[in-house]
Amino acid sequence: MAESQGDETAGGTRGGQYSGPTAHVPEPVHDHHDDPAFITRTRFLTGVALVTGGVMTAAILVPVVGFAAADALKDEEWRWVDVGPLSDFPDGETSSIAVSGPAPESDRRAFLRHRDGAMIAIWNRCAHLGCPVSYSPGGDVYACPCHGGAYDSLGRVTSGPPPRPMDRFDVKIVTPDGQDVARQTSPAEGVSTAGASPEDRVLLGRPFSIDEEQNPFKLHGPGELVTGPLSNLYPF
Amino acid sequence: MATTDIGPKNPAVKAGEAAFDYVDKRTGVKTGAKWFMFRNIPAETSWFQTLGFTAMALFGMQAITGIILAMYYKPDPNSAYQSIEVITNEVTWGWLVRGMHKWGASAMIVVVFLHLGRVFFFGSYKYPRELTWVTGAILLIMTMFMGLTGYLLVWDQKAYWATVVAVNITASAPIVGPYVADILRAGPEFGPETLSRFYSIHMLVIPGGMATFIGLHLFLISKLGIAEPPYSKRRMAVERAEEEARRAAENERLPYGRREVPAVAPATPEPQKVEGAS
Ligand code: HEM
Ligand code: FES
Repeated sequence: MAESQGDETAGGTRGGQYSGPTAHVPEPVHDHHDDPAFITRTRFLTGVALVTGGVMTAAILVPVVGFAAADALKDEEWRWVDVGPLSDFPDGETSSIAVSGPAPESDRRAFLRHRDGAMIAIWNRCAHLGCPVSYSPGGDVYACPCHGGAYDSLGRVTSGPPPRPMDRFDVKIVTPDGQDVARQTSPAEGVSTAGASPEDRVLLGRPFSIDEEQNPFKLHGPGELVTGPLSNLYPF
Repeated sequence: MATTDIGPKNPAVKAGEAAFDYVDKRTGVKTGAKWFMFRNIPAETSWFQTLGFTAMALFGMQAITGIILAMYYKPDPNSAYQSIEVITNEVTWGWLVRGMHKWGASAMIVVVFLHLGRVFFFGSYKYPRELTWVTGAILLIMTMFMGLTGYLLVWDQKAYWATVVAVNITASAPIVGPYVADILRAGPEFGPETLSRFYSIHMLVIPGGMATFIGLHLFLISKLGIAEPPYSKRRMAVERAEEEARRAAENERLPYGRREVPAVAPATPEPQKVEGAS
């Protein structure tokens, strides 16, 4: 019925040829459900189901992901650690001492190098990919067992893949009752031991990275560069 | 069909069939299994196409041996190495199950790469199998991640430092690298948390992901069918025919012997050659 009426209507106007009487054209039925903006029950319930499902999924996933990741992203806390009296580290020697790491296997060590009245502390973590570097007193150099990284007496790279020198620990010397005797002003000079007495204590602090000129930088992970354009790849 | 179909059926067979039909009517397993198992495959399908299944069989072996190893392994820095020693030297057939898991891991990497190579050299990744390739690539990444996380669990010096280096390689990726590495090792340095985290990833997180993606991979394979190898006779015949048709068409456009433009204009007007145009 509707179809034949539609045809007649169309016949009345097509090409402007037929101008006789036309059949009654019914008012188009207005149905809300045809209106794209009209919220039908189905659409409403679909939306409700999606939102509820999303909220429920988020309620599970957010705590789980936070639990798995958030604590892992915290920086390690560093405080001053007493490593012994100054007499344990005589001038002219480089001593290797264990610095507590999170696991006994971690083998985190510091090389305390005391030369000409000044002391620096080098972290044994290879600046390439983090293997434990060893010190050979014969040549006064450091060598990494993993990929052949080699460092000079101050921890600067002499050969192999490491992209920057070995990291340092902050060092200070205090009297046995805790008064500061000497602190490290620049990594190149180290901490002066000239005015200290043998019973004064040596303390290790927060580690930091250095460049080849021994300028200090914030601590970087192994493999990261501290200078040059590529250092921008590690902005944080 | 065959003459054996004549006569009353064995009642036991009948009962079996009835039971099978009962389940099939309600679940469609038979239809599903037929859809999956009895597909048409190209005539030239060969041993090369069994590499994917080999990878899957190895995954199954890793899953079974891994589950059994978990009954004796202790993911704790103080007892991990020792529990591995117990598995190897004391538990009955422990050396065998551990050996299967260890060698199976290497074999799986090798086989997955061989499978990838066969898919690549056969050109089987082309339309419409791109997403099969993508799910496969994700499986490859997960397979390698299984290797990384499993390697640490032995907790000896080699495992420890090799994994330190591997995680630091991750850390040297630009911008996000350090964060990913922190999440992997559960903090700025390797410690007891790292071991249990790796154990959980190795045991639960990735195997779940792999099972899911193997499912997707297989679904796509059965939906799309195995690709024809490039040396397929049918395909080469098709290609030869196409090549001949192309040459014939080219010949027709040669300046010599070109046909006259028909006097009556064709239904769709063809572009005319303009005089003087280059
Ligand atoms: C855990 C690893 C994997 C498993 C268990 C697996 C399993 C399978 C199986 C059973 C097949 C059936 C045909 C055959 O065996 O060749 C297949 C086909 C296929 N796989 Fe994998 N696969 C894995 C990894 C990969 C990888 C790494 C890729 C590529 C990046 C890949 C891409 C494909 C493609 C494109 C096909 C379709 C080949 C065709 O239709 O001829 N798969 N896979
Ligand atoms: S970790 Fe030291 S050279 Fe690679």
